[in-house]
Amino acid sequence: MTFTSRTDTVTRVLAWLPIVALAIFIVTPQLSSLAYSFFRSDGSFTTSGLTGLADSGAIVAPLTRSLIVAALTVVVLVGSLVPAVVAVHLWAPRLRPVLSILCTLPLVIPAIAIVAGLSAVLRELASQGRGSLGMQISMTLQSQDLPLVLVGTYAVLCLPFTYRSIDAGLSTLPLRTLYESSAVLGASTFTTLRRVVVPNIAGSVMFSAFYTFALSIAEYTVAATLSINMLPVYLNTLSSTNFRGSITLSVLLNLTTWLLLASATVSASRFGRKTSAASRKEGSIR
Amino acid sequence: MSTHTPQSTSAPQSATGHEPMSVHFSHIHKSYGPTKVLTDLSMDIEAGSMVSLLGPSGCGKTTTLRILAGFEPIDSGDVLVGGRSVMGLPPNKRDMGMVFQSYSLFPNLDVSDNIEYGLRIRRVDRSARQSRTEELLEVCGLAGMGSRYPHQLSGGQQQRVALARALATRPKVLLLDEPLSALDAAVRSTLRDEIRRVQQALGTTTVFITHDQGEALAIADRVAVMNAGGIEQYARPDEIYTRPATPFVARFVGTINEFAVPSDWSFQHPLPVDDHGEDIVFIRPENLSVEPSDEGRLEVKRQTYTGERTMVWLGRPGDDETEWAASLSSADAASIPAGSRVRALVTDEPSMRLSRTEAGGRWT
Repeated sequence: MTFTSRTDTVTRVLAWLPIVALAIFIVTPQLSSLAYSFFRSDGSFTTSGLTGLADSGAIVAPLTRSLIVAALTVVVLVGSLVPAVVAVHLWAPRLRPVLSILCTLPLVIPAIAIVAGLSAVLRELASQGRGSLGMQISMTLQSQDLPLVLVGTYAVLCLPFTYRSIDAGLSTLPLRTLYESSAVLGASTFTTLRRVVVPNIAGSVMFSAFYTFALSIAEYTVAATLSINMLPVYLNTLSSTNFRGSITLSVLLNLTTWLLLASATVSASRFGRKTSAASRKEGSIR
Repeated sequence: MSTHTPQSTSAPQSATGHEPMSVHFSHIHKSYGPTKVLTDLSMDIEAGSMVSLLGPSGCGKTTTLRILAGFEPIDSGDVLVGGRSVMGLPPNKRDMGMVFQSYSLFPNLDVSDNIEYGLRIRRVDRSARQSRTEELLEVCGLAGMGSRYPHQLSGGQQQRVALARALATRPKVLLLDEPLSALDAAVRSTLRDEIRRVQQALGTTTVFITHDQGEALAIADRVAVMNAGGIEQYARPDEIYTRPATPFVARFVGTINEFAVPSDWSFQHPLPVDDHGEDIVFIRPENLSVEPSDEGRLEVKRQTYTGERTMVWLGRPGDDETEWAASLSSADAASIPAGSRVRALVTDEPSMRLSRTEAGGRWT
């Protein structure tokens, strides 16, 4: 082995070092939790954590609630953000920086600050007294069956990343001529959005959907502060009665979130590749 | 400015079974803020014909097309298609076909789906859609390419798909916005001829925008030469070339020579080259002949060989500012190399004769 190739090997190993370190840092707690979930302290295997979760039945309500809120948040966010960003690209490009700043704000405002403001508003509404409109609105928003307040809050919390993704997706398209071609061929704006725009930013839309779902299903601060029994809040409560069960649940929740985020990344790159190849070609002939 | 009134007696029945539509622009005014883009533009386009809007960039030709397509509102005036005003209709209700310079095919759809797009929107049933798509793939020279995606096609092929897509819905008017400008020269002339062939076969009224005068003259039934938001001349291509209506048209279309001549000069007289005369005559290079002469007051400056013909550039000895062009057979040009003393003769009536003030340009 020559001197140079040995240096190469050393460099390569050094380059991998931080990645391995990071992987250990992230994976070790997960593996420990996993081990704790299924093995007693004497080393014997147990499924008591898992069965404990299923037995009590208390998990059903928060799980369903979390799934519904997460799904609704995806629909609300994608359904409002995509048309909004397309509209700004098409008709008000000057507003792009404004929209960009607005959508980035949730990143610099801590969730606890948002929820503090939100609580104040809800309390103010409720203080208008029994039977008043404000009270009704406040109650509806915080309903344990369908806590709409969380749908709105989670949508806002997801904005920084989803906006960037959709904005970047649209920037690779010759949006104006695509829109005009479609319009001349008889399509309404909605049809153009559905048949041309969204399929061409499918990667960005999928990323936004998965990311939003993952964030909504795992969010704790806002739900706990507003005392709404979502899955992560239930998890916290569970830790005092069935500790092994709570650890099992947290492992499952982590796995789900990771899978969703991995799907987000994969779908973004897979859908993204086809369309960006197409638009690169399109761009090169202009 | 001259406009043309269509002889709307018997419009030809198109091969698609649709009556071709006439287009009528009536006193269009359009401005962006303080900038006037179109000033009192009027034009009639005969049903089934192909009209070229020709002009330098910023002359308003694209705006005119976008007004017809419905993308630009106007300050005043009206646009009629088939005798009915379309100004109240949004772009998706106007029943037009449009081809853009940048192709703008839908990247997520294959060729067939791109062509079918307008038919799908109109809820045409599947079998009718498929047969129409097959027909158009054939007509536009795309047979067998139905399942390719836009990014797998060359520029020329993409533009054929764009043309097929625009024609699929049997549009009332076909709008072509510099469709050939992004293509290289060889593809450009083939596709130009093909667009013309398809247009004549289908009999679709067509508006073709270009800044390339060769393209405009080659393809159109009528050419509208535009400048500064108005139409300078609207006539057949040969009229535009041989009888330009304004100095702008004369200078924009083809090469033209300008000579100052005395007011009693006629083309049989010797051609003065001293710039002193009070009239300005415009003469095409092919109407100048050149013969070697030791007393000649002109000198051959340089030659541009183009094959059969050679463009011979003439000037006053010692003056490199003013040049005139004569188109000679290459054999004749060979006998007068650069530096030869020559005299120029005019072989036909000048294309145009104006006073100095009317001629503008370097004469005022």
